[in-house]
Amino acid sequence: MTTGTVPSTAYHDVPYTRGGTVERSEVGALVRSAVDGDAAAWKAIVEGLGPLVWSVVRAHRLSDADAHEVYQTVWFRFTQHLDRIREPEKAGSWLASTARHECLKVHRQARRLVLTDDPQMLDTVSEDGGPEQTLLETEDAAAQGERVRRLWQAFEELGERCRQLLRVLIASPPPSYQEVSAALDIAVGSIGPMRQRCLRRLRARLEARGTA
Amino acid sequence: MSDDISGGTGFDDGPGVEEELLEEELRQAASLLDPVPPALLQTAVDAFALRDLEARVAALTFDSLVDAIPVRGAAAAPRMLTFSAGGTTLDVELTEEGLIGQVLPPSPARIEILTGPHPATTTTADDMGRFTAAVTPSGPFALRLHTTDEVVMTEWLRA
Repeated sequence: MTTGTVPSTAYHDVPYTRGGTVERSEVGALVRSAVDGDAAAWKAIVEGLGPLVWSVVRAHRLSDADAHEVYQTVWFRFTQHLDRIREPEKAGSWLASTARHECLKVHRQARRLVLTDDPQMLDTVSEDGGPEQTLLETEDAAAQGERVRRLWQAFEELGERCRQLLRVLIASPPPSYQEVSAALDIAVGSIGPMRQRCLRRLRARLEARGTA
Repeated sequence: MSDDISGGTGFDDGPGVEEELLEEELRQAASLLDPVPPALLQTAVDAFALRDLEARVAALTFDSLVDAIPVRGAAAAPRMLTFSAGGTTLDVELTEEGLIGQVLPPSPARIEILTGPHPATTTTADDMGRFTAAVTPSGPFALRLHTTDEVVMTEWLRA
Protein backbone atom coordinates (compact mmCIF):
# COMPACT_ATOMS: atom_id res chain seq x y z
CA MET A 1 0.00 0.00 0.00
CA THR A 2 1.52 3.27 -1.06
CA THR A 3 -0.07 6.63 -0.76
CA GLY A 4 -0.32 8.71 -3.86
CA THR A 5 -0.22 12.15 -2.32
CA VAL A 6 1.76 13.56 0.56
CA PRO A 7 -1.06 15.43 2.34
CA SER A 8 -3.07 12.28 2.80
CA THR A 9 -0.23 10.29 4.32
CA ALA A 10 -1.04 11.41 7.83
CA TYR A 11 -4.46 9.86 7.56
CA HIS A 12 -3.12 6.62 6.22
CA ASP A 13 -0.63 6.31 9.05
CA VAL A 14 -3.52 5.99 11.41
CA PRO A 15 -4.56 2.36 11.43
CA TYR A 16 -8.01 2.28 10.00
CA THR A 17 -10.67 0.87 12.23
CA ARG A 18 -14.38 1.25 11.93
CA GLY A 19 -15.45 3.72 14.56
CA GLY A 20 -17.84 1.17 15.95
CA THR A 21 -15.31 -1.46 16.84
CA VAL A 22 -13.90 0.56 19.70
CA GLU A 23 -17.20 1.36 21.36
CA ARG A 24 -18.50 -2.08 20.54
CA SER A 25 -15.84 -3.67 22.71
CA GLU A 26 -18.03 -2.69 25.63
CA VAL A 27 -21.02 -4.54 24.26
CA GLY A 28 -19.86 -7.91 25.58
CA ALA A 29 -19.49 -6.53 29.10
CA LEU A 30 -22.86 -4.78 28.92
CA VAL A 31 -24.56 -7.94 27.77
CA ARG A 32 -23.05 -9.89 30.65
CA SER A 33 -24.26 -7.25 33.11
CA ALA A 34 -27.75 -7.32 31.58
CA VAL A 35 -27.80 -11.09 31.93
CA ASP A 36 -27.11 -10.51 35.63
CA GLY A 37 -30.16 -8.27 35.79
CA ASP A 38 -28.58 -4.83 35.35
CA ALA A 39 -31.30 -2.66 33.79
CA ALA A 40 -28.88 0.22 33.22
CA ALA A 41 -26.67 -2.06 31.13
CA TRP A 42 -29.71 -3.08 29.09
CA LYS A 43 -30.55 0.57 28.51
CA ALA A 44 -26.99 1.21 27.36
CA ILE A 45 -27.27 -1.69 24.92
CA VAL A 46 -30.52 -0.32 23.54
CA GLU A 47 -29.02 3.12 23.16
CA GLY A 48 -25.84 1.81 21.59
CA LEU A 49 -27.32 -0.75 19.20
CA GLY A 50 -30.85 0.59 18.68
CA PRO A 51 -29.71 2.89 15.88
CA LEU A 52 -28.18 -0.11 14.10
CA VAL A 53 -31.44 -2.06 14.36
CA TRP A 54 -33.33 1.00 13.11
CA SER A 55 -30.89 1.42 10.22
CA VAL A 56 -31.36 -2.18 9.16
CA VAL A 57 -35.13 -1.74 9.24
CA ARG A 58 -34.91 1.51 7.28
CA ALA A 59 -32.56 -0.07 4.78
CA HIS A 60 -35.32 -2.53 3.94
CA ARG A 61 -37.85 0.17 3.05
CA LEU A 62 -40.77 -0.91 5.23
CA SER A 63 -43.81 1.22 5.92
CA ASP A 64 -43.52 3.17 9.16
CA ALA A 65 -45.98 0.85 10.92
CA ASP A 66 -44.07 -2.26 9.84
CA ALA A 67 -40.75 -0.64 10.72
CA HIS A 68 -41.98 0.08 14.24
CA GLU A 69 -43.26 -3.46 14.70
CA VAL A 70 -40.09 -5.07 13.45
CA TYR A 71 -37.94 -2.85 15.66
CA GLN A 72 -39.94 -3.87 18.72
CA THR A 73 -40.06 -7.54 17.80
CA VAL A 74 -36.28 -7.63 17.48
CA TRP A 75 -35.76 -6.17 20.95
CA PHE A 76 -38.44 -8.33 22.56
CA ARG A 77 -36.82 -11.39 21.08
CA PHE A 78 -33.45 -10.24 22.32
CA THR A 79 -34.79 -10.37 25.89
CA GLN A 80 -35.33 -14.09 25.29
CA HIS A 81 -32.02 -14.60 23.58
CA LEU A 82 -30.03 -12.78 26.24
CA ASP A 83 -29.67 -15.70 28.60
CA ARG A 84 -28.63 -18.09 25.87
CA ILE A 85 -26.18 -15.84 24.11
CA ARG A 86 -22.86 -17.54 23.52
CA GLU A 87 -20.83 -14.65 22.18
CA PRO A 88 -22.02 -11.53 24.00
CA GLU A 89 -19.70 -9.27 22.01
CA LYS A 90 -21.55 -10.29 18.85
CA ALA A 91 -24.91 -9.06 20.11
CA GLY A 92 -24.91 -6.38 17.39
CA SER A 93 -24.61 -9.01 14.67
CA TRP A 94 -27.40 -11.04 16.23
CA LEU A 95 -29.67 -7.99 16.37
CA ALA A 96 -28.81 -6.95 12.82
CA SER A 97 -29.41 -10.43 11.46
CA THR A 98 -32.69 -10.83 13.36
CA ALA A 99 -33.87 -7.47 12.06
CA ARG A 100 -33.00 -8.49 8.52
CA HIS A 101 -34.95 -11.74 8.80
CA GLU A 102 -38.00 -9.94 10.17
CA CYS A 103 -37.83 -7.38 7.37
CA LEU A 104 -37.71 -10.13 4.77
CA LYS A 105 -40.75 -11.70 6.41
CA VAL A 106 -42.64 -8.43 6.09
CA HIS A 107 -41.79 -8.32 2.38
CA ARG A 108 -42.97 -11.89 2.07
CA GLN A 109 -46.21 -11.08 3.86
CA ALA A 110 -46.76 -8.07 1.62
CA ARG A 111 -46.09 -10.14 -1.48
CA ARG A 112 -48.49 -12.76 -0.30
CA LEU A 113 -51.19 -10.19 0.27
CA VAL A 114 -50.49 -8.79 -3.17
CA LEU A 115 -50.94 -12.31 -4.50
CA THR A 116 -54.36 -12.31 -2.97
CA ASP A 117 -55.14 -9.10 -4.88
CA ASP A 118 -55.52 -6.75 -1.99
CA PRO A 119 -54.60 -3.44 -3.59
CA GLN A 120 -54.30 -1.62 -0.29
CA MET A 121 -51.29 -3.65 0.66
CA LEU A 122 -49.39 -2.59 -2.42
CA ASP A 123 -48.62 0.67 -0.72
CA THR A 124 -45.67 -0.04 1.49
CA VAL A 125 -44.29 3.46 1.30
CA SER A 126 -44.08 5.62 4.41
CA GLU A 127 -47.22 7.59 5.14
CA ASP A 128 -45.87 9.72 7.93
CA GLY A 129 -44.63 13.25 7.53
CA GLY A 130 -41.22 11.76 6.97
CA PRO A 131 -37.74 13.17 7.17
CA GLU A 132 -38.40 16.47 5.43
CA GLN A 133 -41.03 17.48 7.93
CA THR A 134 -38.78 16.70 10.87
CA LEU A 135 -36.14 18.86 9.31
CA LEU A 136 -38.48 21.83 8.88
CA GLU A 137 -39.18 21.70 12.57
CA THR A 138 -35.55 21.74 13.56
CA GLU A 139 -34.33 23.98 10.79
CA ASP A 140 -32.48 26.82 12.43
CA ALA A 141 -29.77 27.46 9.92
CA ALA A 142 -31.54 27.48 6.59
CA ALA A 143 -28.42 26.99 4.51
CA GLN A 144 -27.21 24.09 6.60
CA GLY A 145 -30.65 22.55 6.50
CA GLU A 146 -30.79 22.88 2.77
CA ARG A 147 -27.46 21.15 2.38
CA VAL A 148 -28.53 18.30 4.64
CA ARG A 149 -31.78 17.97 2.74
CA ARG A 150 -29.99 17.77 -0.61
CA LEU A 151 -27.52 15.26 0.72
CA TRP A 152 -30.34 13.11 2.03
CA GLN A 153 -32.26 13.38 -1.21
CA ALA A 154 -29.22 12.36 -3.24
CA PHE A 155 -28.72 9.44 -0.87
CA GLU A 156 -32.36 8.35 -1.19
CA GLU A 157 -32.04 8.40 -4.97
CA LEU A 158 -29.04 6.09 -5.07
CA GLY A 159 -29.49 2.62 -6.48
CA GLU A 160 -31.08 0.16 -4.09
CA ARG A 161 -27.90 -1.72 -3.18
CA CYS A 162 -25.96 1.45 -2.40
CA ARG A 163 -28.82 3.04 -0.52
CA GLN A 164 -29.22 -0.09 1.55
CA LEU A 165 -25.53 -0.47 2.35
CA LEU A 166 -25.06 3.18 3.25
CA ARG A 167 -28.20 3.28 5.40
CA VAL A 168 -26.73 0.55 7.57
CA LEU A 169 -23.22 2.03 7.58
CA ILE A 170 -24.43 5.42 8.77
CA ALA A 171 -25.96 4.08 11.97
CA SER A 172 -24.61 5.98 14.94
CA PRO A 173 -22.30 4.78 16.42
CA PRO A 174 -21.03 3.19 13.19
CA PRO A 175 -21.48 -0.57 12.95
CA SER A 176 -18.64 -3.04 12.53
CA TYR A 177 -18.29 -4.83 9.20
CA GLN A 178 -19.44 -8.03 10.92
CA GLU A 179 -22.65 -6.29 11.88
CA VAL A 180 -23.12 -4.87 8.38
CA SER A 181 -22.52 -8.33 7.00
CA ALA A 182 -25.20 -9.75 9.32
CA ALA A 183 -27.59 -6.92 8.47
CA LEU A 184 -27.45 -7.37 4.72
CA ASP A 185 -26.16 -10.90 4.25
CA ILE A 186 -23.12 -9.79 2.29
CA ALA A 187 -19.54 -10.97 2.72
CA VAL A 188 -17.40 -8.87 5.04
CA GLY A 189 -14.75 -8.64 2.32
CA SER A 190 -17.07 -7.02 -0.16
CA ILE A 191 -18.27 -4.26 2.15
CA GLY A 192 -15.17 -2.02 1.89
CA PRO A 193 -15.05 -1.87 -1.90
CA MET A 194 -18.83 -1.47 -2.16
CA ARG A 195 -18.79 1.24 0.44
CA GLN A 196 -16.14 3.15 -1.47
CA ARG A 197 -18.01 2.83 -4.75
CA CYS A 198 -21.29 3.94 -3.24
CA LEU A 199 -19.81 6.95 -1.46
CA ARG A 200 -18.02 8.01 -4.65
CA ARG A 201 -21.23 7.70 -6.58
CA LEU A 202 -23.02 9.80 -4.02
CA ARG A 203 -20.30 12.42 -4.13
CA ALA A 204 -20.37 12.48 -7.92
CA ARG A 205 -24.11 13.12 -7.83
CA LEU A 206 -23.74 15.93 -5.36
CA GLU A 207 -21.01 17.48 -7.47
CA ALA A 208 -23.11 17.19 -10.59
CA ARG A 209 -25.77 19.19 -8.79
CA GLY A 210 -23.24 21.70 -7.52
CA THR A 211 -23.96 20.81 -3.92
CA ALA A 212 -20.65 19.29 -2.90
CA MET B 1 -12.11 19.63 0.99
CA SER B 2 -14.38 19.30 -1.96
CA ASP B 3 -11.78 20.78 -4.32
CA ASP B 4 -10.05 17.45 -4.76
CA ILE B 5 -11.94 15.90 -7.60
CA SER B 6 -9.52 13.03 -8.15
CA GLY B 7 -11.35 11.10 -5.49
CA GLY B 8 -8.79 8.31 -5.45
CA THR B 9 -6.51 7.42 -2.58
CA GLY B 10 -4.93 4.34 -4.07
CA PHE B 11 -6.94 2.09 -1.77
CA ASP B 12 -9.18 -0.57 -3.18
CA ASP B 13 -10.51 -1.89 0.06
CA GLY B 14 -12.12 1.11 1.63
CA PRO B 15 -13.10 4.69 1.21
CA GLY B 16 -10.65 7.57 1.12
CA VAL B 17 -10.66 10.56 3.37
CA GLU B 18 -13.22 12.45 1.34
CA GLU B 19 -15.59 9.53 1.32
CA GLU B 20 -15.11 9.17 5.06
CA LEU B 21 -16.12 12.76 5.54
CA LEU B 22 -19.11 12.37 3.28
CA GLU B 23 -20.18 9.28 5.18
CA GLU B 24 -19.87 11.15 8.46
CA GLU B 25 -21.98 13.98 7.06
CA LEU B 26 -24.56 11.44 5.96
CA ARG B 27 -24.48 9.88 9.42
CA GLN B 28 -25.29 13.24 10.95
CA ALA B 29 -28.08 13.71 8.42
CA ALA B 30 -29.54 10.33 9.40
CA SER B 31 -29.39 11.24 13.09
CA LEU B 32 -31.24 14.43 12.30
CA LEU B 33 -33.72 13.24 9.68
CA ASP B 34 -34.33 9.60 10.50
CA PRO B 35 -33.46 8.83 14.12
CA VAL B 36 -34.92 5.99 16.18
CA PRO B 37 -38.34 7.36 17.17
CA PRO B 38 -38.18 8.23 20.92
CA ALA B 39 -41.25 6.15 21.76
CA LEU B 40 -39.62 3.10 20.19
CA LEU B 41 -36.43 3.67 22.09
CA GLN B 42 -38.44 3.78 25.30
CA THR B 43 -40.32 0.59 24.44
CA ALA B 44 -37.03 -1.21 23.84
CA VAL B 45 -35.67 0.06 27.17
CA ASP B 46 -38.85 -1.06 28.95
CA ALA B 47 -38.64 -4.46 27.25
CA PHE B 48 -36.10 -5.55 29.85
CA ALA B 49 -39.11 -6.27 32.09
CA LEU B 50 -40.25 -8.90 29.59
CA ARG B 51 -37.36 -11.10 30.51
CA ASP B 52 -38.62 -14.29 32.13
CA LEU B 53 -35.97 -16.44 33.68
CA GLU B 54 -38.40 -19.21 34.59
CA ALA B 55 -39.95 -19.74 31.21
CA ARG B 56 -38.62 -22.13 28.67
CA VAL B 57 -38.61 -20.53 25.24
CA ALA B 58 -40.62 -22.34 22.58
CA ALA B 59 -39.01 -21.81 19.19
CA LEU B 60 -41.05 -21.19 16.07
CA THR B 61 -40.89 -24.41 14.07
CA PHE B 62 -43.58 -23.74 11.49
CA ASP B 63 -44.88 -20.48 10.06
CA SER B 64 -47.35 -20.68 7.19
CA LEU B 65 -46.01 -17.34 6.03
CA VAL B 66 -42.65 -18.92 5.33
CA ASP B 67 -43.24 -22.64 5.12
CA ALA B 68 -46.51 -22.94 3.24
CA ILE B 69 -47.16 -22.48 -0.45
CA PRO B 70 -49.19 -19.34 -1.14
CA VAL B 71 -52.64 -19.93 -2.59
CA ARG B 72 -53.90 -17.29 -4.96
CA GLY B 73 -57.25 -15.95 -3.93
CA ALA B 74 -57.15 -17.39 -0.46
CA ALA B 75 -57.25 -13.91 1.00
CA ALA B 76 -58.46 -14.89 4.45
CA ALA B 77 -56.19 -17.90 4.94
CA PRO B 78 -55.23 -17.78 8.62
CA ARG B 79 -51.63 -17.60 9.70
CA MET B 80 -50.65 -20.94 11.21
CA LEU B 81 -47.82 -21.16 13.66
CA THR B 82 -46.21 -23.98 15.60
CA PHE B 83 -43.88 -23.47 18.54
CA SER B 84 -41.90 -26.20 20.28
CA ALA B 85 -40.02 -26.45 23.53
CA GLY B 86 -38.82 -29.88 24.50
CA GLY B 87 -41.87 -32.13 24.51
CA THR B 88 -44.39 -29.28 24.49
CA THR B 89 -45.89 -28.07 21.24
CA LEU B 90 -48.16 -25.12 20.73
CA ASP B 91 -50.24 -24.76 17.59
CA VAL B 92 -51.66 -21.32 16.97
CA GLU B 93 -53.94 -19.94 14.28
CA LEU B 94 -54.43 -16.22 13.79
CA THR B 95 -57.80 -15.58 12.21
CA GLU B 96 -59.76 -12.40 11.66
CA GLU B 97 -62.03 -13.35 14.55
CA GLY B 98 -59.26 -14.04 17.00
CA LEU B 99 -56.69 -16.51 18.08
CA ILE B 100 -57.21 -20.26 18.28
CA GLY B 101 -54.72 -22.76 19.58
CA GLN B 102 -53.90 -26.04 21.16
CA VAL B 103 -51.30 -27.26 23.61
CA LEU B 104 -49.78 -30.67 22.93
CA PRO B 105 -49.66 -32.99 24.74
CA PRO B 106 -53.14 -31.85 25.83
CA SER B 107 -53.08 -30.10 29.16
CA PRO B 108 -55.10 -27.44 30.92
CA ALA B 109 -53.17 -24.21 31.17
CA ARG B 110 -53.39 -20.51 31.75
CA ILE B 111 -52.22 -18.61 28.72
CA GLU B 112 -51.09 -15.02 28.61
CA ILE B 113 -51.12 -13.14 25.34
CA LEU B 114 -48.36 -10.58 25.52
CA THR B 115 -47.97 -7.73 23.07
CA GLY B 116 -45.22 -5.74 24.73
CA PRO B 117 -43.95 -4.48 28.08
CA HIS B 118 -47.46 -3.90 29.44
CA PRO B 119 -50.22 -6.03 31.00
CA ALA B 120 -51.20 -9.14 29.05
CA THR B 121 -54.60 -10.60 28.14
CA THR B 122 -55.26 -14.00 29.64
CA THR B 123 -57.17 -17.04 28.45
CA THR B 124 -57.32 -20.68 29.52
CA ALA B 125 -56.80 -23.97 27.74
CA ASP B 126 -59.32 -26.75 28.46
CA ASP B 127 -58.50 -30.38 29.27
CA MET B 128 -57.85 -31.01 25.59
CA GLY B 129 -55.37 -28.16 25.58
CA ARG B 130 -57.57 -26.04 23.33
CA PHE B 131 -57.85 -22.31 23.77
CA THR B 132 -59.31 -19.30 22.03
CA ALA B 133 -59.06 -15.55 22.45
CA ALA B 134 -61.24 -12.90 20.88
CA VAL B 135 -58.31 -10.66 20.12
CA THR B 136 -56.04 -11.04 17.14
CA PRO B 137 -52.66 -9.61 17.95
CA SER B 138 -51.29 -7.16 15.44
CA GLY B 139 -47.62 -6.40 15.69
CA PRO B 140 -45.33 -8.17 18.13
CA PHE B 141 -46.81 -10.85 20.34
CA ALA B 142 -45.86 -13.87 22.43
CA LEU B 143 -47.81 -16.47 24.38
CA ARG B 144 -46.86 -17.52 27.87
CA LEU B 145 -48.21 -20.83 28.95
CA HIS B 146 -48.54 -21.84 32.58
CA THR B 147 -49.26 -25.56 33.01
CA THR B 148 -49.23 -27.33 36.34
CA ASP B 149 -45.55 -28.07 36.10
CA GLU B 150 -43.92 -25.57 33.78
CA VAL B 151 -43.90 -22.18 32.13
CA VAL B 152 -43.33 -22.02 28.40
CA MET B 153 -43.07 -18.83 26.43
CA THR B 154 -43.17 -18.61 22.66
CA GLU B 155 -40.53 -16.80 20.72
CA TRP B 156 -41.62 -13.20 20.05
CA LEU B 157 -43.11 -12.83 16.64
CA ARG B 158 -44.73 -10.16 14.50
CA ALA B 159 -48.32 -11.14 13.74
